[in-house]
Amino acid sequence: MTGQLARRYRRLLFAYPRAYRRARGDELVGALLDAAGSDRTRPSVREATNLVGHGLRARLGRPASRTVVAWAVLTTVVCGLLAAAFATRAGWETARPLPRTAEAQAMLAEILPDQKFTGIEDEPALFTIYGSPLGRSTVRELLLGDGGEYSQAGVAGSAPLPPMTDPAEIVDQARHNMRAHGWRVYRPIFQDLYGCTGPPCDPTTIPQSTIIVAGRGDTTFTLEVTPTDSYNPGRISGGFLRATPVAVYPLALAGGIAGALVAFLLFAWASRRTEGRHPARAMVKTLLGIALFLWWAPTLLAVPSMAWHTIDEPHPSWHPMWEWLGQPVFSLFFVLGCGSALLGLALAALPGRAPQRAHSPG
Amino acid sequence: MREPTFLILTALADGPRHGYGIVQEVRVLSGGRTSLLTGTLYTALDRLTAEGLIEPDREEEVDGRVRRYYRLRTEGLAALTDETARLRQLTTAAEARLRAVRPEPA
Repeated sequence: MTGQLARRYRRLLFAYPRAYRRARGDELVGALLDAAGSDRTRPSVREATNLVGHGLRARLGRPASRTVVAWAVLTTVVCGLLAAAFATRAGWETARPLPRTAEAQAMLAEILPDQKFTGIEDEPALFTIYGSPLGRSTVRELLLGDGGEYSQAGVAGSAPLPPMTDPAEIVDQARHNMRAHGWRVYRPIFQDLYGCTGPPCDPTTIPQSTIIVAGRGDTTFTLEVTPTDSYNPGRISGGFLRATPVAVYPLALAGGIAGALVAFLLFAWASRRTEGRHPARAMVKTLLGIALFLWWAPTLLAVPSMAWHTIDEPHPSWHPMWEWLGQPVFSLFFVLGCGSALLGLALAALPGRAPQRAHSPG
Repeated sequence: MREPTFLILTALADGPRHGYGIVQEVRVLSGGRTSLLTGTLYTALDRLTAEGLIEPDREEEVDGRVRRYYRLRTEGLAALTDETARLRQLTTAAEARLRAVRPEPA
């Protein structure tokens, strides 16, 4: 009975680093068996959770440090999020290509049969930057300030608003036809055509465009009806996008967990390696701080604005996860952060004095 | 100093103890309120060792189980002495205030 329980305890001790298990494993198991009494065959859930938690803490080394856990959490979480974002992008590869021009024309004819939409063109990819898929020639733009131009591509066209037509009639007709053809139609969004701060301009008299968003299967549709004003004729524009593919969700979860795990183990390895008097100890800590700033700052900037935008307007399909992390708008930050982290890991790997393990046997 | 740390140092004040011995002593000292789990205890022992307050003493094997003993270092004894004085001062001050609020019956 004791042997079985000891084996189970030893299995839980895999949460501790190997050197720790070698030095202290027998002692820990002895203490656990003493505490367990004679009638137990398996560790309690509380014991198991406690051992795994403290085993992970032991992996970080630096037993006297009160901040190493916080740094580990910051690193693990942001790396998990970034890895999940990459996995999300990979998941998008399972999406169907965008509708071709003819298919888009046919769907627009279902929604507004009396209007003649023009300017519809096939898109080369689901995500484009300046109309082209991301490639070697566009990476420079992506990194150097134009990352925000990398976004979901849509197949769109427009038609003139017929003279003397109330935009509300077009909106009502479109909503009716969309529902009849199986689209889920969301509440309309109204946007001022221009801004003004007060007299002599009356904000209540500003003409507004009406935006309708809808979803059907793996396609989302946006219709914008702009009334005629003093300067421009009224227009109707409609565009189709692909909704987030189902595969994105499990891939993001798996990618996030894998990324967080790898980041934690690398952090723990570097932390244990540089404890004591490692020659690059201070530099490794500085490089980690730089990497965390470069990864977290875009995330902390982007999350509130994306959350507000998502709450403020209906979304048949949410924006891709990387946009919530401020990417690729701040892709240069991300790349520099990766460089800093890799340099830190390389310096941690430098030979130095053996780490001083406080938990080594005396 | 947190209470579990204070209790662990107190448990070692009268001589070296092994891991489970510390757990038992802490339970007694705290009147059963503090029951340390083994993972928690060893993280605390690692920290106190790194801080130079305790150190491993000797090892023995009982019924096939390895037991390593830990003892207070001089620094640990000093830290425990200081913390005890601090707690005593606080306790004395609190008792004085309580006596003023609730005078003992004649």
